[in-house]
Amino acid sequence: MKYKNIFLAAAAGMLILSAGAGSAWAYFTTYTEAAGGYAIQLGSQSEVTETLDSWTKHVTVTNDASSGPVYVRAKAFSGGSYPLTYSDSDNRWTLGEEGYYYYSEILLAGEASGPLDIHIDGVPQKVKDGENFNVVVVYESTPVCYREDGTPYADWSMILDNGTTEGGVTE
Amino acid sequence: MRKLKKIITMPVVTVAAFVLAAVLLLTSSIGGARAALTYYSETYAARVAMSSIGVTLNENGTAVSYRNYDEDGEWNQEAGDLLAGMLEEDTSVRLGKNYREELSVTNSGDISQYIRVSIFRYWTDADGNKNREISPDMIGLKLGGEDIAELEPATGWLTDKEAATQERTVLYYSKALAPGETTPFFADSLTIDGRVASKVTQTEEKKDGGTVITTEYDYDGYRFCLEARVDAVQEHNAQDAIYSAWGRRVSVDNGTLRLE
Repeated sequence: MKYKNIFLAAAAGMLILSAGAGSAWAYFTTYTEAAGGYAIQLGSQSEVTETLDSWTKHVTVTNDASSGPVYVRAKAFSGGSYPLTYSDSDNRWTLGEEGYYYYSEILLAGEASGPLDIHIDGVPQKVKDGENFNVVVVYESTPVCYREDGTPYADWSMILDNGTTEGGVTE
Repeated sequence: MRKLKKIITMPVVTVAAFVLAAVLLLTSSIGGARAALTYYSETYAARVAMSSIGVTLNENGTAVSYRNYDEDGEWNQEAGDLLAGMLEEDTSVRLGKNYREELSVTNSGDISQYIRVSIFRYWTDADGNKNREISPDMIGLKLGGEDIAELEPATGWLTDKEAATQERTVLYYSKALAPGETTPFFADSLTIDGRVASKVTQTEEKKDGGTVITTEYDYDGYRFCLEARVDAVQEHNAQDAIYSAWGRRVSVDNGTLRLE
């Protein structure tokens, strides 16, 4: 008698569960899906190189062959006794905001800017003992951004870390 | 006449008549049962043929994936690739540029249905591992300049804030979609934010009489991923059907769906 009651209870439970399963499967459903994406190629390197001759620094920025396109800008600092004069033969470096000189062209992968010549004025013919000075060049680059219509522009609020170089004379 | 009466009143005849009556009764019942079986069987077959459900995801006017229940009782389906034509004009992804990405859904079945769309946006590193340092917000999927996570109901799409995560956006189309009908776009452009290039590492070294500064972009080679899943459920008894199939409480008033 005891087993009979258990059997009846189990059977009732199965009936209830099967009724629930029936309603869960009673609706028509379907689905579909798709996926996609791309790797972004920001490039990995850009380089600034400077040389000094005749009290003139020649600053050149090179974009690595594997890099994405970038804009660059640069400026230099010196002591008050040694004012700086900027020039470039191609007229592609232009003085702009925050005292930076902006290179007008986009540097594509593997391309180098024309040189920005920074002449150090007022340097004596012979540097006295103990006299020294430094000229600091700061350069920044930023990846080329695009407006919604595809027009390129530089977003200098999206600053990459500053690059700073120093060079001068110490006697 | 007397002889006939005598035969009729015989016990054997009475029993035989009873048996015959019983057989006739049973035979007539069986006939009715067969008729009923035939009737319901035909009706059932007709309902299956009428209730084929199907849904299609469209990208820029082209069906990219679908799953339809066909007349043979089989699922006819294909899962395509999103963004396949994105770089037709460019050799690589341009940061900040608006790329056309018009997404919609078509009812490719035979019954009206309600639609739910789940969008997943995330990044993977160069090895294919999911990266959570870069925000999915850098993958801008927009409609009319507004991110799809913030769509207004006037667009016809409802954003399910309860189901939203940083990676996932869930949208419900507020109207029942009739067979052959296509929804309005739930997205029309894709933009990768230029800020993904803001994280860099610089090193400095002396070289060739000058100083060389090297800038490395930390997220170079990272991949943005976009996934779209479209769910459809029958219009009939939609409230219960949606709760049963998707686990979401909704109300339907004059065919307009609202999230509870």
